[in-house]
Amino acid sequence: MPELSIDINEMDGGQSLVKLGGFLDAHTFEQLDESIQDIFDSGVSKIIVDLAGVEYISSAGAGVFIGSLALAQEKGGNIVLVNPTENVKEVFDLLGLSQIFTITASVAEAQESFV
Amino acid sequence: MVQIIIDEEMIAPCDTRHLASIRAMVKDAATRCFSEPMMAGKITLAVDEAVANVMEHAYEGVEPGDVKVSVTSDGSKFCVTVADQGVHFDPSSISNPDIKQHVQQGKRNGLGIFLIRQIMDEINYTFVQSKAHNELRMVKYISENKQGE
Repeated sequence: MPELSIDINEMDGGQSLVKLGGFLDAHTFEQLDESIQDIFDSGVSKIIVDLAGVEYISSAGAGVFIGSLALAQEKGGNIVLVNPTENVKEVFDLLGLSQIFTITASVAEAQESFV
Repeated sequence: MVQIIIDEEMIAPCDTRHLASIRAMVKDAATRCFSEPMMAGKITLAVDEAVANVMEHAYEGVEPGDVKVSVTSDGSKFCVTVADQGVHFDPSSISNPDIKQHVQQGKRNGLGIFLIRQIMDEINYTFVQSKAHNELRMVKYISENKQGE
């Protein structure tokens, strides 16, 4: 069964890097939701999400980022999305989210966006 | 001229763990019908959204049931029907979201129908009295099929 992998690393500057792989759909989105909530609970609101390994995303998956964005920004942070595959970018385009989220080509570029 | 005829069906319990199998069936069928590389993925997404809606909401408060996904094509249209015996839900009753407001309010759901509308050419909901079930029929026109390949 296709699954979601989530790898979280703390970074300098009060940032967290969330590296995702696999399938982010109505079956798996709650795992990511809980992980991002844990990051907020630890006091971090600058979150970089590496999407390079995500093979599939549905609106349930995008909803996790939508639900987290306003909260991160309220706390002075942001949700920055890195290197989405063509398929994933297409979903963000269809939803009109590509103009709303900061999307970068590399983690380094995402880190710089917080400066 | 090659005309690709599709007639496939899958019945699954309403558990989101079965979404991947349904996506695989739809993507395989759509890949055979559309030459545009991204189209099969987009149609699969639309069907995934419709089926996820059924799995998550159709049987709320009633006896759990199945979802049936039927895929057909006559070479000119790619048709997917999602059927369930749960509560009635007509997607035309849902208006498109203001996405900026949606994000500002941190709404996590409510975008599935919008995505289906973005992708498919026709969307029709019917309650089929004789079968006592809901049917959501989604159609994508095959403008450039794989004839000549």
